[in-house]
Amino acid sequence: MLRPKNDLLQGTLALLVLKTLARGPHHGYGITLHIQMVSKDILRVEEGSLYPALHRMEQDGWVSAEWGVSENNRRARYYRLTFRGRKQLAEEEKNWERLTEAVAQVLQFV
Amino acid sequence: MSWIARLRGMLNRQRLDRELDEELRSHVEMRTADNLAAGMSPEDARFAAQKRFGNFTLLKEDTRAVDIIGWLDECARDFRYALRMLKRSPGFTAVAVLTLALGIGANSAIFSVVDAILLRPLPYPEPERLVRIWESSAKYDSPRNVVNPLNFLDWRDHSQSFESMAAISGAMTNLSFHGQPVALQGMQVSPEFFSILRVPPLLGRTFSAADGVAGQDHVVILSYELWQRQYGANPKIIDAKIDVDAVPFTVIGVMPGGFSFPKIKSEVWTPLPLARTAEWKEGRYLTVVARLKQGVSLSQAQQDMQRVANFTAQARPDNNKYWSANVFPMLEDVTQGVRRPLWVLLASVSFLLLIACANVANLLLMRGTARLRELAVRSALGAARSRIVRQLFVESLLLSLAGMAAGLLLAQLGLRSLLALIPQNAPLPRSEPIAMDFRVLLFTFLASLLTAVAFGLVPALRLSRVDLQSALKHGTLRSGVGGHQALRRSFVVAEVSLALLLSVGAGLMLRSFARLISVDPGFSPEHLLTMHIWTSPARYFDNLKRSQYFDRMLTEIRATPGVRAAGSTHFLPLKRMFSGSCFSPADQPASSPSDWPSAQFLIISSGYLQTMSTALLSGRDFDDRDRFSSQPVAMVNHAFVERFYSGQSVLGKQLRVCWTMEKPVEIVGVVADARQAQLQDTPEPTIFLSNSQAPMYFATLVVRAAGDPGPIARSAEAAIHRVDPEQAVSDIQTMETVFSDSVSSPRFQAVLLMMFAGLAVALATIGVYGVVSYSISQRANEIGIRIALGARSANVVRLVLREALTLAVIALLLGLAGALALSRVLESLLFEVTPTDPITLASACFIVLAVSALAAVLPARRAMRIDPIVALRYE
Repeated sequence: MLRPKNDLLQGTLALLVLKTLARGPHHGYGITLHIQMVSKDILRVEEGSLYPALHRMEQDGWVSAEWGVSENNRRARYYRLTFRGRKQLAEEEKNWERLTEAVAQVLQFV
Repeated sequence: MSWIARLRGMLNRQRLDRELDEELRSHVEMRTADNLAAGMSPEDARFAAQKRFGNFTLLKEDTRAVDIIGWLDECARDFRYALRMLKRSPGFTAVAVLTLALGIGANSAIFSVVDAILLRPLPYPEPERLVRIWESSAKYDSPRNVVNPLNFLDWRDHSQSFESMAAISGAMTNLSFHGQPVALQGMQVSPEFFSILRVPPLLGRTFSAADGVAGQDHVVILSYELWQRQYGANPKIIDAKIDVDAVPFTVIGVMPGGFSFPKIKSEVWTPLPLARTAEWKEGRYLTVVARLKQGVSLSQAQQDMQRVANFTAQARPDNNKYWSANVFPMLEDVTQGVRRPLWVLLASVSFLLLIACANVANLLLMRGTARLRELAVRSALGAARSRIVRQLFVESLLLSLAGMAAGLLLAQLGLRSLLALIPQNAPLPRSEPIAMDFRVLLFTFLASLLTAVAFGLVPALRLSRVDLQSALKHGTLRSGVGGHQALRRSFVVAEVSLALLLSVGAGLMLRSFARLISVDPGFSPEHLLTMHIWTSPARYFDNLKRSQYFDRMLTEIRATPGVRAAGSTHFLPLKRMFSGSCFSPADQPASSPSDWPSAQFLIISSGYLQTMSTALLSGRDFDDRDRFSSQPVAMVNHAFVERFYSGQSVLGKQLRVCWTMEKPVEIVGVVADARQAQLQDTPEPTIFLSNSQAPMYFATLVVRAAGDPGPIARSAEAAIHRVDPEQAVSDIQTMETVFSDSVSSPRFQAVLLMMFAGLAVALATIGVYGVVSYSISQRANEIGIRIALGARSANVVRLVLREALTLAVIALLLGLAGALALSRVLESLLFEVTPTDPITLASACFIVLAVSALAAVLPARRAMRIDPIVALRYE
């Protein structure tokens, strides 16, 4: 299969998307806006990675998608976190903490 | 990505594409709108949004790849799951696969025959432009009559629709290998023959126009097989001289392997010199093949030929009045007569597959009911209905593919025994091999997919619609599925009625076949040996010499130990051969021969009738008095006397016979009627001429042995070689073999239909059994209560039987209606049996009813033994 494993960036993107969706259903554009805004423009999600990632998460059953109408009356595809997605989010958050902790420890080591 | 993925992707691409497009577009639009709101100009807003978005197409490709892989994954999951489910109930799987294998295998075997004979184009370039042209006569009811040579020459010279036209005269040819004479099937063809078929030779050349001129025609082309077998595949054979019918011919070419012409298994081709001055120019004996000009339609060609036929009728009215011409596409022409029986077989075998489908569909419904809880759980966990339908359908697909694999094995075996039913020297319309090839595999694969849809879709839709919640809640699975029993009953009714239809067809064929073989042929085939003699025209050109030659051969054979009698005829009975001639009573004024009546004629030796045990009704047989130069004599058969002399005495009357016009013949005897061309044909008025007075170049000798005719073949052949060591003898067969081969085609149909009907009835029985026993298990507590309230065994049995017989009776009515509707299809295949033959219909109905009742016996016994206490406690 083409799916890369243990890809840091991929993993991070999934974490960010899942976390964003934990607040409630969003369409793809909304997700980019939210991440950009909350990270104060430091993190910019590229559409080129976002949509393949969203569709992959949909197949893995972490998110489900349905068509809805956006705030300004546009048809958009809304993604919603599933039960499995929630579990995955918890997992990824734990992994992320472990990772940042580890990196911090390496950096503090003089 | 592998090719499967690409294929799957393509199947699903449109929907995915549309959705994805819309999703991405809405993204761009939302950003554009935000940019606008932030104060950008509309163009800038759009441009910025697009720039930010990046390469739209690339993004789409990436995302789509993810979607397709996901879809594939799902399919793989479905397949793995289906495989697990099937493994979990091996009994069900085995029965379903076996049922499907029978249905699919039978179809695959019959289709390979239909394809090889009817569907495949003829093995020549642009075969659709090849036609055969016949003379036709409404007066003699003959739409496909062999052609007169002068007419052929006029056709060839005056018609405008054809690139070229060739005449063929099939003939035996004597070759000599190491001093051993061998008779081979040959073809004399006019030079255009090979260029019409457009098949180039493997070695050397084919005929040119010069080869068709009398005197320059001593050239010969060999088949690849003959070249391999007798000439050691030596390429130096070209320009070598070989003896053909005792005359040296130059070999000019060898045809490629497998080259053949329909219905004639020729190994040797020689030119057919045709000139307007030829001998036999009154007779009709040529087969004509032609290639249509580019763009000329069949009806144009037909009109053209009618015009030319009008011309020949005016030019030679004595021979051509009442005659015209017919053009037929070559494939249609050569398969004429086998098309309907083959389509009937294919239709019957597809009915068998339908029955198999109905049975498996019922099995699936029954199993589905048992799996209701599983389906309910999956649905409760969020599986969409489409997901469940797909899941169930994938299981059907797997069953069907397994059925296909097993079916192909069965087909391979079946085809072998099927082909064994066809006699070896039967004149099959096509000589290409009948085998399971790519086309058959493709057909089988498509048929299996269709089968999966046929038996899988309805149960899948039905089961997925069941009210799953109530199924879960109740814990018992009986409720909520009552409707399936109605569906299952209608499946069973359908299969029983189809089984009845097949039984009626098989019964009709069987009765027709029994009628056919009990026909009195007018001779007795036991202890008879037959052998074909083709004399070389070069050595026996003289009629007197030839007639004496035949007489000497017969005398020598009669003197052989173990031989009771011997004689000869120019056409052996039951070989689909007969000749016709016009005639008129000599005591009536001579009008134009075209207005004379016509009769069949047969050239026989003295002793032929006695050898065949055909009775002489009055007068005498030919004998030693009838010499070549004495008064020409004839015998006629009973049908002739009835038709033309209304039963009065004909002995001593004189006939002018077109076949031998020199002198009138005197009728010296009347012969009992016998079948000639085939058993089906009622005896036609026939004139017998003496082989001593009008010998042909060929004859079939018949020899009656005191005992088993097989062993005298060698001594009879030796007797012939004592007269002429260079005489080839071919087609040595007992008359019983000839008899049996002549009915091989109706036997083939009857045997196959019986087999299909047997399988159909067996499957339908299983179907009835399944439905009835399921319904008993459903009604166990009702029956328990009845028994508790004092119902007797007889009442219970009646209850069960009533259910089975109700189904059977509905099916019978439907099946009979179908049989009546289809009766016309079979009519032309039946001999002395009408398609609505009451005995056949009644016995088919009886068999189906009896078998249905039988199918209910086991469930009935189970119902009788239901213990009311157990049944009631269960609930």
